Amino acid sequence: MNGLMIKALSFAVVLILATFYVVNSMNIDLSDPINMITMIGAIAIAVITAGVSVKYINQMKSDTADGKLAEENWDGIGEYLNELPSGWAFSFLGTMIWGVWYWFIGYPLNAFSQIGQYNEEVLAYNKKFEATYKNPSVSVLKEMGESIFLVKCAPCHGTTGDGLSGKAQDFTTRMSKAQILDIIANGSNQLSYPMGAMPAGMVSGDDANVIATWIASGMKGEKPVAFTACASCHGEDGKGMAGMAPNLAEYDDTIIIKTLEHGKKGKLGTMPSFKTMLTPVQAKSLSAYIKTLK
Amino acid sequence: MFHWLEKNPFFFSVGVFIVIAFAGLIEILPNFAEASRPVQGLKPYTVLELAGKEVYKKDNCMSCHSQMIRPFKSETDRYGQYSLSGEYAYDRPFLWGSKRTGPDLHRVGNYRTTDWHETHMFEPTAVVPSSIMPAYKHHFTNIADIETAYAEAFTVKAVFNTPYDVEGGVKLGTWEEAQKMALAEAKLITADMKNKNVKDAVESGKIPEIVALIAYLNRLK
Ligand code: HEC
Ligand code: HEC
Ligand code: HEC
Repeated sequence: MNGLMIKALSFAVVLILATFYVVNSMNIDLSDPINMITMIGAIAIAVITAGVSVKYINQMKSDTADGKLAEENWDGIGEYLNELPSGWAFSFLGTMIWGVWYWFIGYPLNAFSQIGQYNEEVLAYNKKFEATYKNPSVSVLKEMGESIFLVKCAPCHGTTGDGLSGKAQDFTTRMSKAQILDIIANGSNQLSYPMGAMPAGMVSGDDANVIATWIASGMKGEKPVAFTACASCHGEDGKGMAGMAPNLAEYDDTIIIKTLEHGKKGKLGTMPSFKTMLTPVQAKSLSAYIKTLK
Repeated sequence: MFHWLEKNPFFFSVGVFIVIAFAGLIEILPNFAEASRPVQGLKPYTVLELAGKEVYKKDNCMSCHSQMIRPFKSETDRYGQYSLSGEYAYDRPFLWGSKRTGPDLHRVGNYRTTDWHETHMFEPTAVVPSSIMPAYKHHFTNIADIETAYAEAFTVKAVFNTPYDVEGGVKLGTWEEAQKMALAEAKLITADMKNKNVKDAVESGKIPEIVALIAYLNRLK
């Protein structure tokens, strides 16, 4: 071993010691495999750099070139017509074989797909969501409903659910008199209730007025006689006979979930359908939340 | 041969260009041809919708709104199905935008309605109290440029073969027919609107910009 090699290796040792010093003072945990591998890599780099530089420095001192020169030269710089070193030749061949594999198999079959990643992400999330909210308690539902409401419904129904003075359904009451009169006069068939359509013009004039006032005020007090025209579908108590027709007394899951599914066009405006944008649990949570608005 | 190339840098450059360009063609062209085809069921814009699109461009809505839903769960939860390149096949130019001061609008037609747009465009804070979107009151008085929209549709039909006047598709027809159809379409929209002046204008045969814009926004699905 010559003097140069000794000098180089001692330089490497100094580098390694310095690295250890830094690692130590930064409290890096070497039992962590990643840190350990990085440390080994640092040592290897120091040793190899020292070794390889010394080898080539020594070689430059003694080496002479030989072989046949190519005919042309560039500003006096020539090129030997030597055979390709076998190491190079084999790696070149290997690269070509890899290239063919990558072109026909590697890339087409293993390519990254953004949509694939998205699908996996959604699948994993939905699974987690279903597991977490399998049997949600009412308070969890209300909380979920509130956050969805503020994002998806508040621009029309207002952050407090008051319908922004008549621009959409006001959830603090069941229905306004104007809305009920409109439904009585024009009927409606948008929500797919088992009873089918609500026929138009069953009552009119005073009867309609009295019924609408009574329903709009929360069905308190004396029931108007004319309400018998409505009771066959909406029930004597106006509660919709367990989902056969809308509950006129209060919001229930059926009316909210059906509105979310089908959307609704009425006196106040048009409510879009949210069929593809909400899961059943989310629709139920919105219902739980809307029922708390007073 | 390679020594010859090394001695002739010009032809060497040409060779390099050919190799890289060939690889580029193979990688890009098939994908491009596939992606620029319209998705199934996509219809070209009606003249009224195109007039609305012009308003959208003129008032630079794309400086605050994108029209590109990316395939991330957070986005598809809020806006719906992620966007496909084939959905923009008849957008000349597409209005992807690159900044979201306001929300994405690529599927706004699914969850906003004519009456809501009417209130919102007139005074955004009337529905979203903290909105920083400017009010566009002039849309309610300015008259939409149906003629330019017709010219645009006519041009893309002639030059790019955009499928107007096909069986079961969007009818373009002559300028007189197109005017009538645009007015009929506008009346369907004003039926859901409240603003008296806008309704009157459409009754008298003029189409205010807001009506065209709403036709365009409702079509974004
Ligand atoms: C033939 C059965 C039937 C009769 C009779 C009937 N309704 Fe209805 N009603 C319905 C159905 C079904 C709906 C849901 C309509 C829809 O799908 O859009 C409805 C909807 C309504 C609504 C709207 C509820 C909401 O939340 O959207 C009101 C208000 C209403 N009815 C009031 C009345 C009144 C008042 C009467 C009596 C004059 C009456 N209905 C008689 C079947 C009936
Ligand atoms: C684009 C505006 C808009 C959005 C967004 C919207 N709604 Fe509505 N909604 C309306 C309008 C307008 C009405 C009143 C329709 C009418 O005139 O009867 C309404 C009515 C309703 C009704 C009353 C149904 C009935 O007949 O009793 C319910 C429940 C409802 N919306 C729930 C929701 C929920 C939950 C959301 C959020 C997921 C939501 N809405 C989002 C506009 C909207
Ligand atoms: C200065 C930026 C800005 C400009 C310019 C702008 N908007 Fe907006 N826009 C917003 C913001 C912020 C919101 C969210 C608050 C709101 O709903 O008002 C919004 C919301 C909207 C919405 C409701 C979207 C949703 O999902 O609730 C629509 C529709 C809309 N803008 C249309 C337009 C149109 C059409 C134009 C051009 C005429 C336009 N905007 C120009 C900032 C802007």
